[in-house]
Amino acid sequence: MGLLTDPSVGHGALTSIFVRHHNRFCILMYIASVILFCMLAHDSFSSQTYFSENALLPGLVKGQLNDNSGPSFKDHYKELKAEAQHYETETPHPYLISKFKHLRLETYSHNFTLNYPLKKNTVYTGRNVYGILRAPRSASIESIVLSVPYRSPSSIFPSTLPGLAVMFQIAQFFRQQMYWAKDIIFLVTEHEQLGMQAWLEAYHGTCCGSPGVLNSGKLSGRAGAIQAAINLEIHSEKIDHIDIKLSGLNGQLPNLDLVNLAHRLCNKESVRHTFNNVDGGAIGRNKVNTYYTNLSTMMSMVMTQATGVPDGNHGLFHRFGIEAITLEGYEKKGRGIYVSVLQVGRVIEGMFRSLNNLLERFHQSFFFYLLPSTDRYVSIGLYMPCLVLLVSALFLKAFSAWIQNSSHQKLSDSSSTQSTISEHMHVGVVSGIVLGSHVIGLILLPNFAPAYFTNFWNHIPTHRALLLGYTCVSVAIVCLLPILLKKCLNSMKVSNWVLLHVICLLELGIGLLCVAMHNFSLGYLTALVYVLPAVCTKSSQNRIIVKFLWILVHPICSLFWITAYITYITFPELSIIDYLTKVVESSGQWMALSTVDNMVYGNWAFSIGVLLLLPVWTAFWCLMFLPTNLPQKSKME
Amino acid sequence: MKCLCCLLLAVAVSTVHARSESYSEELFVKPLATGFVYSFFQFTVVREGGSFSHSDLVPHSLGDIIDRFRVAELHIDLTSGLWRHKSWGYPAVDAPSGAEISARFHNDTQDVNKNWYGLTNALSGLLCTSLNFINSANSYESSADRFYRYSNLPRENVCTENLTPWKKLLPCDSTRGLSSLLNSGRVHNANYHSLGIHFRPLCNNTSKSSKYELRQTVSLVYDSVFISANNKNYDWSLRKMFGTGLFRTCPLADYSKIYIDTSANNSVPYVLSQNPDYFLKENIAVYNLNGIFHLSAVMPRPKVVVSDLKPILYTDRFITGFGQEYGGLVTRIYNEHRLPVIVTVIENIPWFLPIYYHTLRVTSNGVCVMPKALIYKPGKGRMQIYYLEIVLELPSHSITEISVQFDYVFLKWQEYPPDANHGFYIGSAIVKASIPRNSTSLTFDKSLIIDNLNSSDSSDSDYLIILKTENFIITLPTPDFSMPYNVICLACTVVALAFGPIHNITTKRLKLTTAKYVPGLASVVQKSYLWLENMVCYKNANKVGKATSVRVFTPEELSYHPTLGHVSEEFMKNQVACKES
Repeated sequence: MGLLTDPSVGHGALTSIFVRHHNRFCILMYIASVILFCMLAHDSFSSQTYFSENALLPGLVKGQLNDNSGPSFKDHYKELKAEAQHYETETPHPYLISKFKHLRLETYSHNFTLNYPLKKNTVYTGRNVYGILRAPRSASIESIVLSVPYRSPSSIFPSTLPGLAVMFQIAQFFRQQMYWAKDIIFLVTEHEQLGMQAWLEAYHGTCCGSPGVLNSGKLSGRAGAIQAAINLEIHSEKIDHIDIKLSGLNGQLPNLDLVNLAHRLCNKESVRHTFNNVDGGAIGRNKVNTYYTNLSTMMSMVMTQATGVPDGNHGLFHRFGIEAITLEGYEKKGRGIYVSVLQVGRVIEGMFRSLNNLLERFHQSFFFYLLPSTDRYVSIGLYMPCLVLLVSALFLKAFSAWIQNSSHQKLSDSSSTQSTISEHMHVGVVSGIVLGSHVIGLILLPNFAPAYFTNFWNHIPTHRALLLGYTCVSVAIVCLLPILLKKCLNSMKVSNWVLLHVICLLELGIGLLCVAMHNFSLGYLTALVYVLPAVCTKSSQNRIIVKFLWILVHPICSLFWITAYITYITFPELSIIDYLTKVVESSGQWMALSTVDNMVYGNWAFSIGVLLLLPVWTAFWCLMFLPTNLPQKSKME
Repeated sequence: MKCLCCLLLAVAVSTVHARSESYSEELFVKPLATGFVYSFFQFTVVREGGSFSHSDLVPHSLGDIIDRFRVAELHIDLTSGLWRHKSWGYPAVDAPSGAEISARFHNDTQDVNKNWYGLTNALSGLLCTSLNFINSANSYESSADRFYRYSNLPRENVCTENLTPWKKLLPCDSTRGLSSLLNSGRVHNANYHSLGIHFRPLCNNTSKSSKYELRQTVSLVYDSVFISANNKNYDWSLRKMFGTGLFRTCPLADYSKIYIDTSANNSVPYVLSQNPDYFLKENIAVYNLNGIFHLSAVMPRPKVVVSDLKPILYTDRFITGFGQEYGGLVTRIYNEHRLPVIVTVIENIPWFLPIYYHTLRVTSNGVCVMPKALIYKPGKGRMQIYYLEIVLELPSHSITEISVQFDYVFLKWQEYPPDANHGFYIGSAIVKASIPRNSTSLTFDKSLIIDNLNSSDSSDSDYLIILKTENFIITLPTPDFSMPYNVICLACTVVALAFGPIHNITTKRLKLTTAKYVPGLASVVQKSYLWLENMVCYKNANKVGKATSVRVFTPEELSYHPTLGHVSEEFMKNQVACKES
């Protein structure tokens, strides 16, 4: 079919335009991508959210949660506070168990242990408590989870005790209702996300991180397939606003219907609700202001999502196909109108009753979106082109490099009788470099290298040992590779190393696309950083500024820049020496956290850095120092 | 005179039959320490004689079916809710959620399968259930008995439409006697309700004639939270549970009795509103019914909450894994007995959940256990279930885990049920074990509850109990059912695009001619760009480095190649030269 195979492709007029001006096109695409991305926050690109799943029927019933039957919220809260004071640093398990039993729930507890992966023989233990409300007449095949992370008074995070008291209040109310069709699991977790991860792994009988790290134990009570989960973090009795948090592990997001449900019901109960702590709606803002607010909200979402670290316990559910969000209630400081806990309770009641209506799992609506506001969304079809523009710049560069090279060769073949052996591709060398760089990446995976580093520098703290180890390896690569290449491959001079160049560009492009398929934010931000130097690089004779640019974007350096920026934002008052030590220190901590995240939760961020960015970077670095002839032929022509 | 004769004859016939059939109705109520009230109705007809062509008390509609399909034994249970062994102990009849049917046919049956499908179809009409969906893909025959068939339909919803025809099978319908307590509104408000029809032959040592028993049962569990006033206590009464008291007994019944199991009195003391007629074995209060009757119990809210009644043996079943890559099926059996118990576990796994037999692991307290016997019949797609029967010895105080891995398969698009994203129901496994009589609930060695309660051989012999595990749903890879539309659009586009070239290639002959060059848009743009560039960069026009890497040919230089399109004349020459050489 002429449609599919046209051999004249590559020699047409359009192609030659692209090939001749590919650099300009690449820059143009880069700029267009950034502009398009910024435009996404505008109202003309985002659309109004809506409910796709009709079975939810949000807000069709009046919230009935009240303080009249049984102990009130205040009673629960007072009791709980007294109990929490009694256990300064631990979780009051016996109290929680007896409390759930008194509420007439099926009560279980769950033990788990963590073998800290970076230090041998360091074991942490924890215990979760959960109660199951068995829905009458149902066969326990589906359930909904309401979870609260327990924080003891000595915790550095704000207290969640009011949230726990709300949960008791809700459980007490729910227990008296006949209408449940799905079981409801009330879960109190310990050790923040660790407890939640352990519980979820035990519930599903799997292990998501490295084997042997998190021993998630066994559960003796289950309630079928979990359909949705809501995590509560309410910090005070007097609530200023409810923030709805979505970002999950590896940037996974909950179904947009669930997010909309939360916002809609907050609206109904007149609870002030925000996304990333920014109010939605355009009331009281002019157009320009609305746009800036939307842009900053969207950017903050992208930043949160790009880290791949969940911003609440809800984030761990997503992997298991469970839609989950966190409702975080911030304390109202000072005087004025506040939101009462009961109002929030009624929001949760409404959400649970809506979820109870669901016949099917969440499958409609969007799983991939960006939110510029509480009531607007950008769908995947609109934001993906931004990344596609960046990646196609890489592909265009690769394509034109290849075409240019082949046409050069043709010209040289026809003009002179020079043998083609000198213009050999050196497939062996190139594949050696590509393979070698990936092997280095594999060795540096969190399962191998960190344990070795911490063993080697046993006397210094873990995070410093890790930073030291990875920095040493990186410095060795940066310094030794050029010398090695010069020494070993001096005999293999060619005019350019187009094969390596093309492979690097294609790998980077495809890798970025794959990353963005799962976590758009991470993919896009990485692309913004790496596409620029990749586009500036030529197949041979790179200038010193390009080399410098590549040094700047080395994964370790990037980590350093990000930490430096964040430290500057958080502690602007530090002196320069303090500041630098702080940056180095926290870079190490980031690295340690990231490796632990990888091994406990299966977070990919570190793997992407080590398996995609570092090998590509190394290959590019090799490309710049491979011995080349002076390019005389183009001049001769 | 004739009339009188007929009447006399009728009376004579009826008295003859009345002697061969007896009917009794009983209600067994057991308040549980956990705050639930379990009530079990049993309506029993015992009949002597084989054929059901003439009967007074056995319903004709059912008798005909039994006769026609040569049924020797039949058990049907229609259940909504899950029996919670941990908080409710053992039921009188353990039934899994949904519909369950098992039958044994007479030994001389020719085509058992034909009779089985006939039976299920007839019963589905009789009871308004979906038993007609039973086919070879969801029923199995016992490994030991060729004439036994079993099937369950976990997705079946049990509702009023099943209760009404069920009540019609009773001799007094629902107008009189204990059956008047069964109001559909109240029955379906219970936490658990199960309707049962159990037909079995009775061993008869004294006479040679065959004796049959037909029991119709209802199990109901009420939660005191919903039936007690202002849910402050564990009170219950017949009126609270069933919405009505008892007014008239059924005149056809030989016995009408209510039993209250007062064994929970030790942990949660309560007071009954009426003194019982007598006590059986100290803790079972018996009431003979003969008129208006009402009963209520007053109990204070207990100081200590009892949340578990640890039965000797209970089970737990769940799936492991997430996503649609790997799945595992785990059945756990908890043995709290001080002695080892031998159990038989029967897993019937539908064909769309192919299991990997090599991954079967049986562990007890973490140690691998060899099963005493194992029968495995692999399934066939759309034809036969995966049948796995394991006989195990459970050590005392142990948790035994049977796990097997399975695969998620793609189905044909018409095989998805409505609400495809709801998931697929997987029915329960069956666990059979012999445990000491004193730890079971009601036993059924004899027809009537009172006889069984009275029986002397208690506590010294074991009794075979059958436990049913929970159902669960799994999510098979489900297509987006709005997709066909998109696919049709896409496929049409592809066909439309491919049609042109295919048509051209197949219908036209390619000929070598000199083509007219028509400048395309791109070349026009390029030329104008070149021209602009020359104008702007006039001074640098002689620069060598600006030379293009790809040569652009003018139209005069180009010629047309049959397969390659526009190519340069040089290229053509080379091609020709190549061919010639």
